[in-house]
Amino acid sequence: MHAEQLKGHLDALLLATLEGEPRHGYAVMEALRESTGGRLDLPTGTIYPALHRLEAAGLITGSWSVVSGRRRRCYALTAAGERALSGRRADWRDFAAVISAALEGKAWPSTA
Amino acid sequence: MAEHSLIQRYNDVLLAELPIQLAEEVADGLAEANARYARQGMSCDDAAQAAVAEFGEARAVVAGLTRVSPAQWTARRLIATGPVVGGCWVVALIAGRAWEWPVPSIARALVGAVLITSVIVLLTAAVARRYRVAQRAGVAGCAGLALIDASAITMVATTAPTMGWLALLATCASMLRLVFVTRAVRPVLARGA
Repeated sequence: MHAEQLKGHLDALLLATLEGEPRHGYAVMEALRESTGGRLDLPTGTIYPALHRLEAAGLITGSWSVVSGRRRRCYALTAAGERALSGRRADWRDFAAVISAALEGKAWPSTA
Repeated sequence: MAEHSLIQRYNDVLLAELPIQLAEEVADGLAEANARYARQGMSCDDAAQAAVAEFGEARAVVAGLTRVSPAQWTARRLIATGPVVGGCWVVALIAGRAWEWPVPSIARALVGAVLITSVIVLLTAAVARRYRVAQRAGVAGCAGLALIDASAITMVATTAPTMGWLALLATCASMLRLVFVTRAVRPVLARGA
């Protein structure tokens, strides 16, 4: 799966990898790779701007530590980030259900 | 353990182009990637090559971080709101017949020159692909607009025969922008290390 196909979904994917435990940039990439069975073809360098954008938006928060003599920045979800992730998940489920129904020729279940 | 020359070159680009904290963050990730490939049994050369390939071009990483930098964020907002503040002043100055005010020609020319320069450097900051260019241009643009706003407010307060509601509105717009610039320039300068 290429970066182009991920447009609009990268933020939700990053938030999901930070759910439960804080991670540094490369650990976020590894978690993404693991959770998708290595099918994401995304230059790791693009993770950092996305993490900084999410931090500026208040959805994640960063903190510094020193590991193996290197300074490391780890990110954790904020309360706003948790809310945003829940919203993105619900939106995705709706979107996937609608598109699947259309592509597979099934009627969309009516809620009326 | 000494860094592989490929990793070192990549980090040198980051250090030259980015504030130290951002460069250190990406360099840490690159070191992790290098270690991961080495753990998988690759040779030093192969591990370094694979890590660099995984991260993508260093300049692309710099450009990505520049796009989300406080300087570019601030410059884009100032450019977007500039016509509103400028429009308020144009209307207020026309309504107040500002051409009749006793303002020296040199002062008018200076304000015009600073305004044009500020717009140019803010546009530069907004589209720059290099972090430090965006940062320096952003700070210069903020300073220029702050100077313009302060001058306009001072001019109206000291020179205008009467302060109409249009001039009051324009003054409020400039004061709001001064507050925004003051708050926004702090994170831009904080990333300057």
